[in-house]
Amino acid sequence: MPDQPGIDAYAAYLPAYVLADNRLDATTAPRSGGPTRSVAAYDEDSVTMAVEALRHLAEPTGWGRQLLLATTSAPYDAKTSAGIVHEALGLDPGVSAVDLRGHRSGAAALDLVTRAGACAALADVRTTRPGAPDELAQGDAAAAFIGGSGTSPRAATLVARAAHTTEVLERWRLPGEQHDRVWDERFTAEVLVEAGKAAATRALADAGLSGVHHVVVSSSNARAAATLRRALGGDGQDAMIERATGFTGAAHPGLLLAACLDLAEPGQTVLLLSATEGADAFVFRVGDDIRTARTGPTVRDQLAAQQQLGYGRFLRWRGLLDVQGPARPAAPAPAAPPMNRRAGWKFRLEGSRCDACGSVTTPPRRICVSCGIPTSTDSPSKVSLRDRVATVVSVTTDHLTTMPEASVAIVIADVEGGGRLSAYAADVPAEDVAVGMEMTPTFRRLWTTDAIHNYFWKLRPTTAVLDKDTP
Amino acid sequence: MANHRMAHDVAIVAMGCTPFRDHWNSSADDLLVDAVGECLEQLPDVAITDVDAFWVGTQGSGMSGQTLARPLRLVGKPVTRVENYCATGSEAFRNAAFAVASGAYDMVMATGVEKLKDSSQSGLSAVYPPSDGTDVDWTAPAGFSLLAPAYQGAYGVGDRDMRSTLTHVAVKNHANGALNKRAQFQKAISAEVVESSPKIAGPLGVMDCSGVSDGAAAAILVRAEDAYKYTDKPIFLKGMGFVAGAGEGLASDGYDFTTFPEVVTAAAQAYEQAGVTDPANQISLAEVHDCFTPTELVLMEDLGFSERGKGWRDVLDGRYDLDGALPVNSDGGLKSFGHPIGATGLRMMFECFTQLRGEAGDRQVADARLAVAQNLGGQPGSCVAFVAVLGNER
Repeated sequence: MPDQPGIDAYAAYLPAYVLADNRLDATTAPRSGGPTRSVAAYDEDSVTMAVEALRHLAEPTGWGRQLLLATTSAPYDAKTSAGIVHEALGLDPGVSAVDLRGHRSGAAALDLVTRAGACAALADVRTTRPGAPDELAQGDAAAAFIGGSGTSPRAATLVARAAHTTEVLERWRLPGEQHDRVWDERFTAEVLVEAGKAAATRALADAGLSGVHHVVVSSSNARAAATLRRALGGDGQDAMIERATGFTGAAHPGLLLAACLDLAEPGQTVLLLSATEGADAFVFRVGDDIRTARTGPTVRDQLAAQQQLGYGRFLRWRGLLDVQGPARPAAPAPAAPPMNRRAGWKFRLEGSRCDACGSVTTPPRRICVSCGIPTSTDSPSKVSLRDRVATVVSVTTDHLTTMPEASVAIVIADVEGGGRLSAYAADVPAEDVAVGMEMTPTFRRLWTTDAIHNYFWKLRPTTAVLDKDTP
Repeated sequence: MANHRMAHDVAIVAMGCTPFRDHWNSSADDLLVDAVGECLEQLPDVAITDVDAFWVGTQGSGMSGQTLARPLRLVGKPVTRVENYCATGSEAFRNAAFAVASGAYDMVMATGVEKLKDSSQSGLSAVYPPSDGTDVDWTAPAGFSLLAPAYQGAYGVGDRDMRSTLTHVAVKNHANGALNKRAQFQKAISAEVVESSPKIAGPLGVMDCSGVSDGAAAAILVRAEDAYKYTDKPIFLKGMGFVAGAGEGLASDGYDFTTFPEVVTAAAQAYEQAGVTDPANQISLAEVHDCFTPTELVLMEDLGFSERGKGWRDVLDGRYDLDGALPVNSDGGLKSFGHPIGATGLRMMFECFTQLRGEAGDRQVADARLAVAQNLGGQPGSCVAFVAVLGNER
């Protein structure tokens, strides 16, 4: 355990879409200022969002001993989803990878990160039945943290922490079910408020504080969250973010903490309270290097950049509206040995760079496609293209796509510094993709066939907000 | 690189070609029996046992030489199954030609077949080896549609002119197919029909795409010196080239999607062997791989029929119409004759054979002496390409 537990670096990831209106057959404009929810695109899941969040971490001195993935929506049962994230990040094999499951896993991951020298992604995709009262109050997001590495955490020092475990049937679902079942929230609110107050009181007492600069409350129960925010004297910033994103499950305490740290000043104190299946309270003191502890975009910048999504597309993306697609066979499932042999290309977008002429061949080959000279077999030069900008050379629109969209754009794009990609465009209407557009690789789930999720890189438009290198 | 004519010249002495269409009641076996039967009917003194060796091209309608040996009950004969994407039929022809030219055999047969309509899907679907799942799941039209915007950008062709050019290709090939009893679609179509068809990929609609159909074709080849023993009107292979691209167009930067470099190289080889120095004026007619309308446009330039950047004007000016200076796809092409993959290359040969013998009836090209058959497979940036020059004089 480090001398000073805490967070060294953090990042948040919000998907590109927001849903503001969940009325079927709406004939009038939606109520303005109502709640909205953040929506992962059809090609995103907790694994891909975890990769996107972790990619934006400023890596301090290493990734620690473990990579943790906290979620209630792991794409696989039994198989460890964190292993896919590990491969995409290119972490040292000595870093272990483990999934944490359940609503409380986000707080647990954060707790482990601050003390153990680890990195964690808290990521979730949340759905309800169409028309459920909380449909716009559940959302999709990811947050990533590295911590516990040393003596002086850059982002925030953990001053105190307290847990309060309560067994209560609040939100649950059986294996294979898509949506949570929910007990009457008036009952569960009481239980969670009591647990939350107990944990917060103990953490503040341990920290020797009677008050803090920032109160951040995350709860699976909106009624409990509101009560706790009032009781703890919060300023409502957390509620404002939540009203835009919805409750983002295991990611939520991480997302709200990230949004707080985006604005917090060095030396300020933060009480983070996660009230779900009991409660977890953390008291942090914001570090002097908080501004360099974030290299990705702020939560608020990402919120501002989100695109409105229509309800029909939302339902189709989530498989809640079964739309007739083209008479076309499903895209093929990938096979385990080639995925393993070509992990550098598949998960990290590594092309081969020719030792002789310097050109990049994509996918990598033994013999340079430009000059024909074989690469040295013992140490072929690999170059990762995933953090480079690619410029569209040609584009088409597939109107017969097997994806849950009317059409998708496919681009040929040349990567800055060499290499050419044939890729699906992401997070952009097909008709908006044009020759000359600059695009950035993003890790996505291309399709799922024969119960195998096929992950690979797509290209999304490069934007000033999302792709600036420094805060 | 060596690019020699073969040790012996080769001639086609007979051909057969089934109608291309939805052959709901015929299997690949039936289609092969029909095509081979038609081919043999033309040589009353030749029995199938007189043919020394066989090639059968199919992309996915059979495995191994038994694809042909079983339905035709070939006993004790060598049969080779070949596959080379949509140039599979040409590949069967090419290898058969080499075999007879080498002197190893005196008479060989090249066949090609595809049975596409037993699937419930309209487009082409192939089965690829297990992979890492990183390839785009391209439809064929999506891959080829990249040609259109690239061509427009390179030569400053506006949307309306480009659309009119592509439409002209479709209208022309359907008009030609309307004159051909073997074609899948024997109906002329209007520009409006083409342009209002449902969009498939990028700017391409259904009516920019070739017909998906079943069919088979066959050819009997002998050495040129023997040809007149079998027919008064043999057709001679003057030259042929084949290139399997290294795929550099998709694997590295540089390629701009306005050309098929593989076709350019294959054409240069074929022209050199055939002594063709001015294809735009020496070639009487051409069968080209109009899998999608922009493909035909780009091929006019790759084959040297039009100057770079001028092909679209030549298309619009009617240069490639049936009554134009250089009729292209006089039989309707892939567009309206249809495209049963393994048969297509030999179907192109069949039209060249028919035209050069003066037997094309309503669509006969006057004074046809030299014909080009050009066949490709894959997609722009990564393809295989075949070009042959055929003539009615040795």
